[in-house]
Amino acid sequence: MRRITQDLLLGAVFSALSAWFLRALLLNTGVTTAATAPPLEAAPNWPVSAESAVKVASYEIEAKFDSERHRLEGRETIHFVNRSSAVLNELWFHLYLNAFKNDKTLFLRSPFGAGRSGDKAKQYGYVDVKKLTVVDGDGQDLWLKRDRHSPDDPEDETDLRVPLEHPLEPGQTLDLALEFEDQLPELVERTGFVDSFHFMGQWFPKLARLEPNGSFAHFAFHPQSEFYADFGDYDVTLDVPSTFQVGATGSRVNESASQGRTRLRYQAANVHDFAWTAWDRFQARSERIAGVEVKLLYPPHQQQNADAELASVRFALPHFNARYGPYPYPTLTLVHPPEAASNAGGMEYPTLITTGGPWYSTFGGGHFIDVVTTHELGHQWFYGLLASNEHAEPFLDEGFNSYAEAEALESRFGSASVFGAFGHSVSSTALNRLFSAARGADEKVAQGAADFATFRSLGAIVYSRTATVLATVARVYGRERVNHALGVYTRKFRFQHPTTADFLAVMQSELDERAVTALKLSFSERATVDYLVREISNAPLSAAAGVFDGPSGREEKKPEAPRKAAEYASRVVVYRHGVLQFPVEVALGFEDGTKQLRHWDGSSSTFNVDNLGPSRLVSVNVDPEQRILLDDDRSNNWLSIQGDPAPHCREGALYAAQILLGALGP
Amino acid sequence: MSDHTLNRATRLSTAAAAGMLLWISRTLLALLVSYPVLLAIRGSGMTNGPDGDAVLFQPGSLLLLELLRVDAVGLTAAAQISLLLLGLSAIFELIPLALALDLLWLPKHPLRERLTRALGLFPRFLLLGAIALLVQAALMLAASLLGAAFKPVLSSADERLRSIAPLALLGLGLFACGWFGGVLDIARATLVRRDAPELGVRAAFAHALLCLRERPFRVLVGLYPSVAGSALGLLSAAWLLTRFVPVSASSVAIALSFGVHQLAMLFAIGWRVRWLGAALELSAESD
Repeated sequence: MRRITQDLLLGAVFSALSAWFLRALLLNTGVTTAATAPPLEAAPNWPVSAESAVKVASYEIEAKFDSERHRLEGRETIHFVNRSSAVLNELWFHLYLNAFKNDKTLFLRSPFGAGRSGDKAKQYGYVDVKKLTVVDGDGQDLWLKRDRHSPDDPEDETDLRVPLEHPLEPGQTLDLALEFEDQLPELVERTGFVDSFHFMGQWFPKLARLEPNGSFAHFAFHPQSEFYADFGDYDVTLDVPSTFQVGATGSRVNESASQGRTRLRYQAANVHDFAWTAWDRFQARSERIAGVEVKLLYPPHQQQNADAELASVRFALPHFNARYGPYPYPTLTLVHPPEAASNAGGMEYPTLITTGGPWYSTFGGGHFIDVVTTHELGHQWFYGLLASNEHAEPFLDEGFNSYAEAEALESRFGSASVFGAFGHSVSSTALNRLFSAARGADEKVAQGAADFATFRSLGAIVYSRTATVLATVARVYGRERVNHALGVYTRKFRFQHPTTADFLAVMQSELDERAVTALKLSFSERATVDYLVREISNAPLSAAAGVFDGPSGREEKKPEAPRKAAEYASRVVVYRHGVLQFPVEVALGFEDGTKQLRHWDGSSSTFNVDNLGPSRLVSVNVDPEQRILLDDDRSNNWLSIQGDPAPHCREGALYAAQILLGALGP
Repeated sequence: MSDHTLNRATRLSTAAAAGMLLWISRTLLALLVSYPVLLAIRGSGMTNGPDGDAVLFQPGSLLLLELLRVDAVGLTAAAQISLLLLGLSAIFELIPLALALDLLWLPKHPLRERLTRALGLFPRFLLLGAIALLVQAALMLAASLLGAAFKPVLSSADERLRSIAPLALLGLGLFACGWFGGVLDIARATLVRRDAPELGVRAAFAHALLCLRERPFRVLVGLYPSVAGSALGLLSAAWLLTRFVPVSASSVAIALSFGVHQLAMLFAIGWRVRWLGAALELSAESD
């Protein structure tokens, strides 16, 4: 009995101590000092920002929600202004809910899986437009004259042309009235339902964006593509069962209940889309952060995720305000979908973002919740306020936002921005560089979403490659200069639809010509760079031997007997492969312990590093501070001719093998 | 002669010798197991710089991820070879284990005789190990099947319960595996104690199960300090190193890492030896 008690006590003490050490290890991120970003509010020379958007298409919508049948009945009035320079004879409507109508739509027919979420529809969804008339017109149903399918695609009904009865002159307005019915699909690509959870994105008939030249930027809903639309004001009234909690774009301005149903009215000014969610199990929290009313809807039992999400907003909202101009809306809604509806997570809409992750996401040193929340919040600038064409130039929002996300996360967590525990950390920059180096040169960055071979390719190139290009330019030419240039860009094109040319024009005015060239080549030409060294040469110097004819006649000098050289000639050649050119430092190490740093402007294809000195050159390291994240292969950046190159790995691998043998062996 | 007849000092020195024997054999085998992975890392070029492999452990893991990218194929192949070597080493380690048990039971035996006995026990130890592996695999399979069976029942439960329940069942499976490992040790101890070539694996297992029936708590609890002690050794070493010894190219950092890791290993082996001694006692008490 004494033995049992003794063993129990010993085991309990060991277990308690083990638990303490485990907790301490989980909290040890390996980061001693988190980087901090200096506030930029006071930075000079910000351009004057627009206070509001030029409104082209504004919407008034009333929708009645049937949660049992997953249907919506809606009436919609569109106030449209022809802001272009051309006379319009037609309108283009995006009916993106039809992407889920059957397996032959552009969205669902790909044999390689549908879209970002990777799922096919399990129950189909669609939108039926019942009627389209001109308000105060002759009552003709314009919908009867629509094209029956998307251009050149008889199987798809997501991009439809409607001819106008009368031409619309530049500056003229047109009010249109629509009636429509939605059948929601089982959740696919952020739209639809899972049990009683519903998410309504791309749920109403919507006009394609009118470009200044009078053409419509219309496109069928492609599985790899996101969206593009005109700014306007939205006034949306939702009629929902009273048991449901609702989160939506904009501010709730009115609420009335009767007979088990609630009418909720939302208004959002200067936005280009409207999304909403309804679930009868949402928990809700709200908090005022940086002057914005932040509302968080999340599933039961996810308080820790909710805490992490609000903490992320508390840091990132003021941070992005300082970097990219103040968030202009009074509200921000965060939606954390339930685990079964995870496809609805990680998406951005004006003033509404969805996060996601299982209930244990905050355990174990990972920053998944912070990553997704910060990323989606960043989209309020790179998508929301800078409403670029996500179909034609997806890197302008996703890529720039990935850079902004990494910058914000690293300002908050230092190098542990993705993971930090057990004394080790993984940064967003390192992950972006990993994906960028793995696939970054496969395709061009600046191309349409539908042009990428696969969504994985798009992910690596649009998100990670773009962020790595910007991070490289920032590391080489100065982080504050590049961040300031981005701040100028975001302020100058606030409430607009900037293009690659607009971005490069700002960079041209803010950065060196070489930096702009690097940006252009990286985005448009699949340009790459790889710095490498192949060998280190050392030659002892001794007096020249041989036959010499001098003024005093012929003289023969014999070679000196071997001895320790008084001086060495050392050489290492650094090569640059690829067309990108970045200035780079080359660190030299000598046998006597001395070090030198040589600067190479990187413009030629080789750089001979020569040295005459008393000691042999024993090591070389090109780009020792790892500024050029675009460097294709870092394993060839250095050489050393001294010592065991892997003592830590040797020791660590031995220990790991001992542990495994202890666990698996007898 | 059994350890009951020995004084405390002799018992301690015998235990220390058994521990050293297990540590040395494990270290030599670990060198072999880790060698392919080490070769792959060195061959990747990622450690060829002036700071060697210290760069792989810099904050942010930029170059550690680069190692995984540039040498994914080489590392995967090396890991597979290391796994194979690990399996073979685990089998080979049965010989030092038999030697250690023999040493604990009969401390004054001549080495040559001890080695002959250990080699003679190897086939039966191997068979015992194979049976234990099968039983433990069956236990884990049962835990996993039970988890799958519970899935529909839990479909209406909240997502926390849905994810915790299968993990709890797997934990229970691991616990049962650990307990069965203790029974296996008693069966091994029985084989060593009786030293009769005619004593088969079945009889040894039967004796161990008898022991379990007679003293279930001692078998269950006896293994606890050994398992918890191993965990404590590993975790405290990790804490000490991550807290006080940052990875750098200096030889002092490497020497400290090695020292702390090996102390943790010796600590874990020490508690293992204590349990092996207890297993011999338990086996003897059920005779």
